[in-house]
Amino acid sequence: MENKNEIFSQRLVKAVLWNIVLQTLLAALLVFVIQVNPLHPLSWIISTFHDIFSWKMCLNVVLLGLVSFFQAYVYGSYYTIQRPKNFTRFSIFLNTFTMQNIIFGILYSLNGYFAMSLYSSLAGSNYNVLKKKCEQYDGQCLSEQSLFLQFGGMWMGLYYFLQVHIFGTTVLTFPHIYQEKLQQIKLVVSHIISTGFRKSFVPVLYFCIFYYLWGSKPRNVVSDVYSLYLEDPPLDNVVIMLTTGIYIGLWFYTSLFFISVYTMRTIFNIVLTEPMKFPIESDNKLTLCNALAQTSKFNKYLAALDLKIMSMTDANRRSEIFILSQPGGHPRNWNNLLEKCMSIINEFNKELDIIHGDGSAGEPDSSYSIQLKNTGTNASSLTSSLYSSPLRNMAQSPQLLLLKDHNKNKTDDTFSNAVKEEFNNFIQRLCQKPGISYFFGELTDTRLKFLLIQSQPLVWTCEGLATIVAASLKEDKYGIVQSDLPVVITALINLKQKLDKLIKPGLVPRKHFVNDGFALRLRSALISSVKRSLYKIVITFSKFIHEIPLEHEIQMAIQPFLFCKEP
Amino acid sequence: MSIFQGFPELPGAEDTPLCVVNEIYCCANSRYGNISTFTNATKNHPKINVTKDIQHHKISDENVSLYVDVEDKLLKKITSVWYKQGFLDALSVAADPSINRDSPFLAITASYVLKIANLVTSFRYFIQPHLKDIGPKIVSKYSRTRNWSTAPIKCIAWHPHTTKIAVATADDNVRVYCSEVSFVSTLKCKAQGHVSSLSWRPYSASELAVGCEQGVIVWTVDPNSMFTKPSSSNAVVLKRSGHSPVTDVSWSPNGDLLVSCCGADTSMLVWDVAMETAVPLRRVAGGGIVFARWSLDASRIFAATSSIIFRVWDTQNWSPERWCARGCRVVTACWGPKEVVLFAAKGEPIVYALCNMGLLSGAQTTKAQPVLDVTKVELPSGDIVGGPILDTCWDPTGRYLAILFEESYLVAIFCTTQLMMQMKITPCCFVCGIDDEMPTTMAFQKNFTEGACLTIAWSSGRLQHFPIVYG
Repeated sequence: MENKNEIFSQRLVKAVLWNIVLQTLLAALLVFVIQVNPLHPLSWIISTFHDIFSWKMCLNVVLLGLVSFFQAYVYGSYYTIQRPKNFTRFSIFLNTFTMQNIIFGILYSLNGYFAMSLYSSLAGSNYNVLKKKCEQYDGQCLSEQSLFLQFGGMWMGLYYFLQVHIFGTTVLTFPHIYQEKLQQIKLVVSHIISTGFRKSFVPVLYFCIFYYLWGSKPRNVVSDVYSLYLEDPPLDNVVIMLTTGIYIGLWFYTSLFFISVYTMRTIFNIVLTEPMKFPIESDNKLTLCNALAQTSKFNKYLAALDLKIMSMTDANRRSEIFILSQPGGHPRNWNNLLEKCMSIINEFNKELDIIHGDGSAGEPDSSYSIQLKNTGTNASSLTSSLYSSPLRNMAQSPQLLLLKDHNKNKTDDTFSNAVKEEFNNFIQRLCQKPGISYFFGELTDTRLKFLLIQSQPLVWTCEGLATIVAASLKEDKYGIVQSDLPVVITALINLKQKLDKLIKPGLVPRKHFVNDGFALRLRSALISSVKRSLYKIVITFSKFIHEIPLEHEIQMAIQPFLFCKEP
Repeated sequence: MSIFQGFPELPGAEDTPLCVVNEIYCCANSRYGNISTFTNATKNHPKINVTKDIQHHKISDENVSLYVDVEDKLLKKITSVWYKQGFLDALSVAADPSINRDSPFLAITASYVLKIANLVTSFRYFIQPHLKDIGPKIVSKYSRTRNWSTAPIKCIAWHPHTTKIAVATADDNVRVYCSEVSFVSTLKCKAQGHVSSLSWRPYSASELAVGCEQGVIVWTVDPNSMFTKPSSSNAVVLKRSGHSPVTDVSWSPNGDLLVSCCGADTSMLVWDVAMETAVPLRRVAGGGIVFARWSLDASRIFAATSSIIFRVWDTQNWSPERWCARGCRVVTACWGPKEVVLFAAKGEPIVYALCNMGLLSGAQTTKAQPVLDVTKVELPSGDIVGGPILDTCWDPTGRYLAILFEESYLVAIFCTTQLMMQMKITPCCFVCGIDDEMPTTMAFQKNFTEGACLTIAWSSGRLQHFPIVYG
């Protein structure tokens, strides 16, 4: 599909424009503050305007534009492409040295370098050129302070890159309520400025230590290359560094750099996470169901969020789900939506099975999904006869599909598959050897973490689906949702039981312990949302719960929800 | 003519009202009378009486004198004060010449620093006068509970789906009473002090948000667990600097968001509890947000500030509609069906209704109009009723409205009917306590199917269930 990332790229362009505007404003403010002259306010304002419309500022804007486009590219590559799943120590290690990361590292350090020289030139200091006229000799001398600053800028860019992209987890976090953009920026500005100044202490300290230990090398290299004289006492001396006070300058410019990067990140976050309304039915636009089914991570997030918001607040679009298609009378919208939601839930279930599978025997888990399939098809064929003609039933007979599936499986079972399987077994056995297993063995907690970090759309999908189902009691005139109640309840109960295994003390193997605050919080959010969804359905249908054709086990599992006994 | 003249007469001195069954006001002897002679609707309800002896010992200002003073070294004294009460108090200890006799240099330095700090704080109070009161003072100023600081029951909350009630007592413990099981879970942790409000999470059996001085504590009380004192590992403390003390917490009716308000903070926080993140909602003017109420369909939030301004937030795009009360701040508000909100201003005996007139005029216009005048009158029996409103409570179906008055010991219950966007309020009955009990706080049960059940906490620590049964 060509328009897959259209929404994303449109938003990126929007974010870049927003970013340039805001950063220019910040730079103008900086100039205004630096040229403070309260005794002569008129000259203060004039000189500010003079500087704002000077070539430096233009260069700054152009550079900002470049930097933001580059940042947009970074975001684009992080959020639209499905990231490779690395679950072994070796591949995680290898993955930090990809071409992409190296390019990003270089770009970030260049960014830091330019930002530093720009801010220092805007601030009107004379530390933005490496050369200066010697005082004692005739010729050019090295200005070590400016070397220190520019080198520091590169360091800061690299530091930020390492901190955020290598050691941090890059996940687009959607705020749980979305206010107007300007309001959000207003709320966040003071926080950005204070964190910028606070967080720049540590890297400046690191850099000073680094320069103290290694500072002589870059100095010698630069003075050799430009054939400059060394006149001032060297900076890699504690006393001299302290007396020149250059570290204060570095701290100030680093803070400005951090503020600028944080602002950029915040703006991207604000613009990218804006909720979007997808139509339920449309010929030329991307519909909610199609967006839910897309592999593009970003669209899936937006669609799931929209499903939740729509189910809770938008009665008009909700009613569109409950209508029958005009020629034919199929509940096409609902069936489509249900199918997409079920595939999201079942996919997650499958992943959880794999994680549970290597802790315990895989047998009971795989039977779950079969069970689910059976109950799903049974229920739909059983109840669909209530309102649709048998003819249509045959056309979409699930048994037929199953039959086809069965045949396919049989033909696939050839010699080459057997060899492949044998080879895989050999690899697996090899991987279990102690030394090899350390590097090449699969890390369960990383897999679980990866799974949990991506679970946000699932949270919204569960809540949205449950709210639609609950609303159907009053709004669904044809009773189309009720026929699929068993499918929804069964899927949610299965998901809940699998998630419970993750938190039951004693049942969780040591290696499943996820040592990551964000993933842990998402796990509890997921469990809480699944339980709430079940409660919502069960409480809404509590009077009719015994009339829903459910498997005995599922019926047992919903009893605690019915009596409000499920914690 | 006062509306109170339409009420049925109060029972005699020996009797107490117990319930209303099919519009018949049932009273019985206060000592021997039993509600089960009239109705079985509240037969399984937990019987609650918070007496002094079930409360836990608490260090308060009165019993602190019981402890013997120990003479500590100066440095130890200062550090302990710093640890317990903060930097400024430590400074004042250091500056106090009666305590600090050993090092006059330290005393002089401390006194100068203290002067500067006082200047800064007085300047801050000049800019933000709502910050002047501290901690419990703010809570007791804005609480809808009568005599919040001394009442044995500070607040109560019914569970939305099951017969379960949480009661916050004077010792800052929260007790959870259930209809099926006889034992009581007592929730207490170190951070839980000066409890101001309670709220059960909808679509969950176990989660209870407790608003207290430090922030919001969200407890998960496993209904199957037999522990009477769940450990504090079941609690999550949500706090943010500047957002203390919390004066009100309320869950959205969908159960996904939690709103916490603080009388000293101009922004109200919307929490995603599982992710432990909060988004502040703030607009210029109005001072601290005292309380917030979600409408029944979660589409709006009524937020009252400590000034005459109140706002109605739209939860779709999170933008507010600003209103000004006449005279004084809004003291209480409650939502009913069809997006109607009833509210009352402090010190005024009038209930206003804010209804959405969109259906009639075609445009989205809302308008506030007085719907009930409860000016103070003396009943024929000599009792005084009416006057400034302390708290109002509307039952979830929107049929009964209970009002608590500042200067009366009667609880007045009214019948409310909404016909063609017109609110009609008619008298129902009074509830009075035994002897000289005063009502402190009240709440309607949320899952009562036989009618409406008002639970009233009396100043004696007794909790009364007053059912209104019909059909």
